[in-house]
Amino acid sequence: MRQTYAVRSLIIVIGLVFVGLAVIVQMVRIQNSEQAKIFISQGDRYSGEFSMVYPERGEIYDRGGHLLAGNRTVYEVGVSLAEMENPEKLASVLGTYLGLTYNEVLNKLIESPESWEYVVIQDYVGAETVSSLQELMKQMEDASDDGLNGLGFKPHFQRSYPEDSLASNLLGFVTRDGRGYFGIEEKYNDLLAGNPVQVWVPRDPNKAMEIPKVPNGTTLVLTINRDLQAKVENILDEALTNYGAENGTIIVMDPRNGEILAMATTPRIDLNNYTAYFSTYDNGSQYNRAIGMAYEAGSVVKVLTMAAALDTGTVTPSTTYIDTGSIEVGGITIWNWDRQAWGQQNMTGCLQHSLNVCLAWIATQMGPQSFYGYMERFGLGHQTGIDLSGEAMGRLKVPGDSDWYNVDLGTNAFGQGVTVTPLQMMMAVSAVANDGHMVTPHVLYSMLRDGHQYNVPSQYAGSPISSATANTLNEMLAISLEQESSQALLPGYRLAGKTGTAQIPTDFGYDANHTNVSFIGWGPADDPQFMVYVWLQRPSASIWSSETAAPVFSEVAEQTVVLLNIPPDVVRLQLAVTK
Amino acid sequence: MQATQIIHAYKQAPWRVQRQYVGAFLLAVIGMAMIAALYLDVTARAAVAGREIQELRFNTTTIQRANADLETQLANMTSTTEMERRALELGYRPVKPGELDYVPVPGFAAPEPAILLAADDITPRSQALPIEYTQSLIEWVDERVKTGGSR
Repeated sequence: MRQTYAVRSLIIVIGLVFVGLAVIVQMVRIQNSEQAKIFISQGDRYSGEFSMVYPERGEIYDRGGHLLAGNRTVYEVGVSLAEMENPEKLASVLGTYLGLTYNEVLNKLIESPESWEYVVIQDYVGAETVSSLQELMKQMEDASDDGLNGLGFKPHFQRSYPEDSLASNLLGFVTRDGRGYFGIEEKYNDLLAGNPVQVWVPRDPNKAMEIPKVPNGTTLVLTINRDLQAKVENILDEALTNYGAENGTIIVMDPRNGEILAMATTPRIDLNNYTAYFSTYDNGSQYNRAIGMAYEAGSVVKVLTMAAALDTGTVTPSTTYIDTGSIEVGGITIWNWDRQAWGQQNMTGCLQHSLNVCLAWIATQMGPQSFYGYMERFGLGHQTGIDLSGEAMGRLKVPGDSDWYNVDLGTNAFGQGVTVTPLQMMMAVSAVANDGHMVTPHVLYSMLRDGHQYNVPSQYAGSPISSATANTLNEMLAISLEQESSQALLPGYRLAGKTGTAQIPTDFGYDANHTNVSFIGWGPADDPQFMVYVWLQRPSASIWSSETAAPVFSEVAEQTVVLLNIPPDVVRLQLAVTK
Repeated sequence: MQATQIIHAYKQAPWRVQRQYVGAFLLAVIGMAMIAALYLDVTARAAVAGREIQELRFNTTTIQRANADLETQLANMTSTTEMERRALELGYRPVKPGELDYVPVPGFAAPEPAILLAADDITPRSQALPIEYTQSLIEWVDERVKTGGSR
């Protein structure tokens, strides 16, 4: 009997061992089969998901710490089709809240391909709308209503411009694909955007530490003074209305270091609605006329001609010239702006009365090689190198070019036949206001990244004229403004500057009825701390710069001295003595 | 003789041998159970910690978004147009250059904007502590070897 039990037990044991071994063999076989690899890969696929982590785009501040470009949270509203219970209810609610039609939403929900698990109904939905929808979802859940099951919200950032259109020409904008266009947003797009990183986000909490931290984009601080920018834009807008100008540009720069304090152009767009770009501008060069649009600036170029002539010793301030009202250069007769003869003039008088004939004579005395050598050194025909996207070069024809003629030497001397951008003129003339040193204009003051501040150093762009020449011309331009009783003057402050009225070239010669009026000026004359450039296109109230651009300069100078805390000359000199 | 008999008897007691085997087996099972329990405990703690990390990350992201939103809202409320409107409502008007009084203040430096104050300047600073306070023994030996014992 015992033996029988032993045999039975042995059989059971062998059977169990066999089953156990079979299970183990089967486990090993399944683990190493081809199908197992597929299952493992499927398991891996669902163990997490690849996700592109876009860092928060860096912010943009003015020099006073005011936010010019930031970020705000918007939402992608979508529906998980697997969890959806009631598409009709979803279509009705979402249509109402998102401003879509019932059929539009319903079609997305019920006509999506079967392979889709999730369908986006609308992106860039504001936080308030999403908050209302979330409240409604909660109420329906409390009432055990599953009509909104599957509805989800994915938050992400959208560029936001708190100042709307302020400095829009300078800032540029960011489209929904996250790319910057124009201005700072384009020039520093890579820095601002940071580096997107594709990461594997595991669902296993044990691997939570494997998710890398993506640093935010670099924050930029600009040299712009927000309040001055706003004032300058107001002045420009009023000037367009008062003088009937088509468009305009005003730049305020510190001539000592090239920092752009304000840069206003028209038209401007609300950057929060950047699609207005397409209806506002015909081409990209119009977006920021201060740097993107070259034009014949007229008599403001006389500052450069006189600087070159003084520097070479061709003339001195006391050199006299008998103005007969015309001069022949290269076989073509050049006339004064009023076609009058101004008689004997010294060089200050030539600038004060803006005599084309006198300046053309000066250029002929210098000779083309010397004249164009100086114009090259002043940067005409070259980009200034400002850290903004979309800068134009202008055109300086030089001897040897197929379209250069001898008469160009005469006309270029008073700013016709040569095209410059307003910023090029500012950079060139900064040499006069800054002891002969030309500064590179820039708008980036500082970069902030990972808690560190990187200041951007100012750069000189050469010294085309000597310090003595610069100071002499500075004085000549201050005297010419005072003696002219110019509308550019500002009581209490001694300023230097020059008007520019230029005819506009067309396909059929110069337009006799319209002009571009410009003014470049700076102050205080003995210690220049600001430089202003004004350009009004085709003013209808008057074609003369002295009656349009000059008073606009005065208005800008008035606001600038207040906002930059520059005391009147008398007070400033007293303060300097007491220091 | 008696002792030999006792040992002999003890060795030959089959239930004692079985008990030894069972004891060893149970000991192994208990050991494995303890290891398994320990492993389970550690794994569970790690999972909980991992979940907390995930939640904290989510919270961090949420707070960052809220921070950016608040910053933008603040900028909206202090924009130039808004501030000018409020100033005019309060009876202020733009100042003219001649209406300002300038007073020299010795040692006055214009305040830095808050955005720049929040960041560190990358200008290298002199080390506050002498090297003796920061150098490890190995670094000290390495330096002495390289400098030949002289400073």
